[in-house]
Amino acid sequence: MATTEEIAEAYADWRVRCNGNPRLAKMLRGWNRTVHLMTADDAGHFTIVVTDSVLSELRIGLVDQPDLVVSASSEDFADLFWGDLNPSEKYISGEIVLAGSSEDVMRLDAMSMVAFLDQ
Amino acid sequence: MSQGAPAPATTLRRAMGLRTAVSTSTGLAFAALQYLAAAGLVAYVAGDSAWISIGVAGILAVVAWSFFGELNGMFPTAAAIRRYMAGAMDDRVALSITFTYLSTIVLVIAADAFVVSAALTHVLHVPSWLTAVWTLALLGVAVASNLRGIKAAGWLQDIATTVVLAATLVVSVVALARSGTGLHTPLQPLHHHSGAGFLESVALGIFLYSAFEWVTTNAEEVRDPKHIHRAMLIAVGILFVVCATMTTAMSHVLTHAQLITAYPQLSLGQRAFGAAGLWIMTAVTAVTALNTFNGGFITASRFVYATAREGSLPPALARLNDRAVPWVPVLGLGAMSFVVSVIVEAVGGSGWQVLVAVGAALESMIYAVAAFCVLRLRGRVPDHHRPFRVPLVRVVAITGVVVFGLLAVVASVSVGNRFDPVPLAIILVIGLASAAYTVRVVPRLQAAEAARRAARPTRRRPPRTPGGETSPTVPPSVS
Repeated sequence: MATTEEIAEAYADWRVRCNGNPRLAKMLRGWNRTVHLMTADDAGHFTIVVTDSVLSELRIGLVDQPDLVVSASSEDFADLFWGDLNPSEKYISGEIVLAGSSEDVMRLDAMSMVAFLDQ
Repeated sequence: MSQGAPAPATTLRRAMGLRTAVSTSTGLAFAALQYLAAAGLVAYVAGDSAWISIGVAGILAVVAWSFFGELNGMFPTAAAIRRYMAGAMDDRVALSITFTYLSTIVLVIAADAFVVSAALTHVLHVPSWLTAVWTLALLGVAVASNLRGIKAAGWLQDIATTVVLAATLVVSVVALARSGTGLHTPLQPLHHHSGAGFLESVALGIFLYSAFEWVTTNAEEVRDPKHIHRAMLIAVGILFVVCATMTTAMSHVLTHAQLITAYPQLSLGQRAFGAAGLWIMTAVTAVTALNTFNGGFITASRFVYATAREGSLPPALARLNDRAVPWVPVLGLGAMSFVVSVIVEAVGGSGWQVLVAVGAALESMIYAVAAFCVLRLRGRVPDHHRPFRVPLVRVVAITGVVVFGLLAVVASVSVGNRFDPVPLAIILVIGLASAAYTVRVVPRLQAAEAARRAARPTRRRPPRTPGGETSPTVPPSVS
């Protein structure tokens, strides 16, 4: 099980990559969303706020009403933020569970793809 | 806790309610091609008693609803079809079936583009070669709006679906009322028809409900997971009422020559409200296609994107434009739909009947596959969380496999009221191409992806220290 610190560290790296990516800035223009991250193994819950393509710091706990909820194991969250796993594979296998509109899900997946694969 | 139990409920800020789920399910099923399918059912197979065939097909759709209800409850995700099929059978078979099934969307988009274009050509009294131009323009607009990430909002979809269904129902009832005569043989499905003909009409009737189950891809955005389950059932009921009334009106007031055109709904409108009815039904047909384009493009392109991201389709299909839209699948879908549409137009009268037969056969096939998956998963994952369970599962699912399998075969060799193996040949070509792709290309794609990963530098995630902590490389960003 990944600790809160491990997830926070991984997220910090992801955030720097995402916020510094000009293509992602275009892709997320006008996309203001609150994302809840819920660990399936009780490693804690987190909130990310995206305001006009800029990712906030990771907030511990569930803040505000979400637009998108992502549930996964803490290990998967850490690997995802480090770019060590393909979220689509985990999603199709049911290890990552999502709640939200398909457009929001697409944008979230785009973040990991563009940040790490630059596609 | 059993497998697959839902996470604690969280209310989303923007969630789909029951009404939008119903309109999505009904709107996906009620394509412009349904008008032609209904008219074909009347003209060639069932006559005045077509509504009985539609009713029987509706009962079968309710049986299919129970299968999709159980499967969607187990896997409430847009990727459900991949998950339940991969869980119930060999993944290569599952992928082949899924790709074949997906081709229905291309056929329906192509057919709708053609139907709307043919209607415009008719009402504007312009040369028929312009039909291809309208088709190109319609698909061009659909592709361009998809590439820009434009999607009809839930409320707009609710209104569009309601207008289409209400207008079709009103036009049908008024046309019937104005006919001034009673129905000829409304309760004699075997009058002038054989038992085989009735079976054929039920097989084609299945097409009128096709795609109602695609609303399961919205499972992640509903306010309450039960909404999808209820919405599908309500949609089947609505489709029965509208389609049965429409076919009854068509059988009663239209001539055989009107029934076999590419725009029988316009003739129905004209019988109800004169010239105004013609324009009303032209507008309704266009709105129907809007629903199909909106749902079809998004569903198919996102599925292709996810499958490419998974590594089962070429990585180029997962490329995104600056609006996070998978542009290659959208363009490909538009191009394929245009080609199919032009072929349908070139073939003439029997072209759309072949599409209806292919669609009906593929829909029956997927119902049979769903029945098989329900049965197989009961054995393989008996403890998986199931909010809804098919009652008497062994009897219902085995009957479902047999009946829907039989209807798939019947639909695939029937065009109009005659034996014609062309739909079967088309399905076999699509199916064999999908199977060949899955067996020969997918392993190579997966090997290439594995090689790419192996060539990548080591994991970015720092290794854990003996105490279980990772060595921090970036200052944590926590508030």
